[in-house]
Amino acid sequence: MPTRHPERPIVIKLLEAPFEPLELLAAWQRSLGAAGTAAESHFIGRVRGSTASGAPLEALELEHYPGMSEAQLRTIAEACAAHHGAGAVLVAHRVGRIAPGEAIVLVAVQADRRGPAQRCLQELLEDLKHHAPFWKREWSGGSGTWVAGNTPL
Amino acid sequence: MPQAQSTQTPMTQQAGTVVRVRLFAALRERAGWGERLIRLDAGTATPVALWRQLALEVSPNSHATDLPPSIRVAINQAFATADTPLRPGDEVAFLPPITGG
Repeated sequence: MPTRHPERPIVIKLLEAPFEPLELLAAWQRSLGAAGTAAESHFIGRVRGSTASGAPLEALELEHYPGMSEAQLRTIAEACAAHHGAGAVLVAHRVGRIAPGEAIVLVAVQADRRGPAQRCLQELLEDLKHHAPFWKREWSGGSGTWVAGNTPL
Repeated sequence: MPQAQSTQTPMTQQAGTVVRVRLFAALRERAGWGERLIRLDAGTATPVALWRQLALEVSPNSHATDLPPSIRVAINQAFATADTPLRPGDEVAFLPPITGG
């Protein structure tokens, strides 16, 4: 079982305002400096322009459990990094009201090789969708509907 | 988010176990509250018993009072099983199906 590089940090950010994922990613890479590794995988998720039923989406609302959401994201990131032998991990997640096209999640994983980087990223995304206390509500036509489940992979 | 109700018995009183209950998303809106201090009935010292005491049925047409499998429990902001013994001052959250990412 590979072990995580202990010198490489897990960074969790919950953001209440819109963010530019590429700027956040660049700042994170700069913060790691010479600790950067050979492989890095990234995922950016953005809000769709339509609801689950196909209606135009006005906004997506993200409710969370303050305190537990950060703690759970950190637990998930640490477990995935340890499982795959990955290094530094960044997870940034929006909360509150989010407009279509805005970024909702950014995940970045560093590792020594592409395999661990990509596998860690994929497992982290799936765990995050099912085990971090976030709830989506779609706003359309002036009314809000809680989303019943996650979209298919 | 609504604050704990002043009508609930204060935590300083001796008898019984008082816990903080938190509800989220659809569950919070259905119940009409998000956070309360609740004094547990005698023999109600687990989340599943607390759910019955609060009568938080998910379906209005259902008389079932058991905790539905889709609702997860957190105690002091960590996932827990519904039969975990509760202690005074615990924060118990009932979490509807998670839709993050």
